[in-house]
Amino acid sequence: MTTWLLDYYNWRVVALYLDEFSRGLMATLNISAIALVLSLIIGTGLALARMSTRPLIWRPVAAYIQFIRATPLLVQIYIVYYALPYLLPFTLRWDEMWLGIFALVLHTAPYMGEILRVGFESVPQGQVEGAKAVGMNALQRLRYVILPQGFVNTVPPLLGQTAILIKDTSLLSLITVFELLSAGMIMNSQRIMPTESFMTVAAGYLLIYALMLVLSGWVSRRLSGPAWSVRQP
Amino acid sequence: MMEIIAPYIDVTRVVMPFLVRGFIETLRISFFAIIAGSVLGFAVGLMRTYRLPLINALLGLYIHFLRGTPFLVQLYLFYFVLPSTGVSWLSWDSETAAFVTLAVYTSSYVAEIVTGAIRSVPREQWEAASAIALNRYQTMRLVILPQAMRLIVQPMSGVYVILIKSTAIVSVVGIAELTRQGEQLIITFPNHLLYIYSLIAIIYFLYCYPVLRFARWLEVRVGGVKSVPME
Repeated sequence: MTTWLLDYYNWRVVALYLDEFSRGLMATLNISAIALVLSLIIGTGLALARMSTRPLIWRPVAAYIQFIRATPLLVQIYIVYYALPYLLPFTLRWDEMWLGIFALVLHTAPYMGEILRVGFESVPQGQVEGAKAVGMNALQRLRYVILPQGFVNTVPPLLGQTAILIKDTSLLSLITVFELLSAGMIMNSQRIMPTESFMTVAAGYLLIYALMLVLSGWVSRRLSGPAWSVRQP
Repeated sequence: MMEIIAPYIDVTRVVMPFLVRGFIETLRISFFAIIAGSVLGFAVGLMRTYRLPLINALLGLYIHFLRGTPFLVQLYLFYFVLPSTGVSWLSWDSETAAFVTLAVYTSSYVAEIVTGAIRSVPREQWEAASAIALNRYQTMRLVILPQAMRLIVQPMSGVYVILIKSTAIVSVVGIAELTRQGEQLIITFPNHLLYIYSLIAIIYFLYCYPVLRFARWLEVRVGGVKSVPME
């Protein structure tokens, strides 16, 4: 009954490679998760540095952010992959996955930082003054007042940026990192079945995308964020 | 001092003509993809606001598919999968596949912006237009679109930057644009790899940064609301 489908999408061959695809999917999620955590940490640092009143601190950070935003990720990946081991000799022992993660973090952290900065700046000045009035020092104000409130405001756009990050990991297949798209390319090179290979890869990414949509729907119901984060119906 | 700089000057002299040629190709591809993608995206976005049952579901699928898969996967689908269907007019060369992928990819962003902008025009505008006996077409053209336009223009320049940066990816199917030129040049000058890629990054920066600044300027001038996250 379903044999006509075999002409268009030979799921029997895909089934042989199912193990490969699921390992690829896990690798994509793994790389994304590591890159996400590192980007959030570095992004927070960048946001705080960008908000500094000292030109010596915020100007270089602003220049870095602008430069990353105005150059393609692929070029950044190539620079990191080919040149980083010469610039920083201790990275010579890193395998391509960690070089790829380095490039992704280098690229994603400024975007995360800009989102977080908008969130931090949206915390009303009165909150900071209130914290000062109860005798908190700068670190305590950051830790107990600005960061918690600023972070909540930024969850929906951060999720959007995470979805972009997950899609960006596909570019790492070009520097021989094994992930979901690499799994499809391996199948295509062994069986020469582009439809089966790449449609399955696309289905894998769509699965992640669907989960992200459900998650962001749940989050935006839970948090009633400020007006700028509310999606158009 | 001179000994350090001299080799770079030599390399630059050899490399620059290739990079300029690559940049012109990048400029050409991105320019035509912007136009095709904007027209297609505008049509899709406009059609979505009419809420036609079946068509709306199909357009929704179209947009979700494009937003949910990476650009590189889409490029492989157009370049490898379509020719394998056996339909002769779908066997595209790399140039066509790259161009179509870029245009279709851009259209998904543009469609979301256009739909969002049109839906954000208040209902009363439609009611007032029908009160003065304008038909649907006239209402859209004379009342709704002019008001939606100010929400469309600003995020559009953000989309153009995304598109320009995506053109680097079509180098993998052999389009001789800027990134591809660089890949070939480092085979000749492996010792100047970092220098050549830095030149390429600077050229992209000089192309994208003014567009980003223009977006910022429009944001201040027009005071539009960000309806998509800027990339």
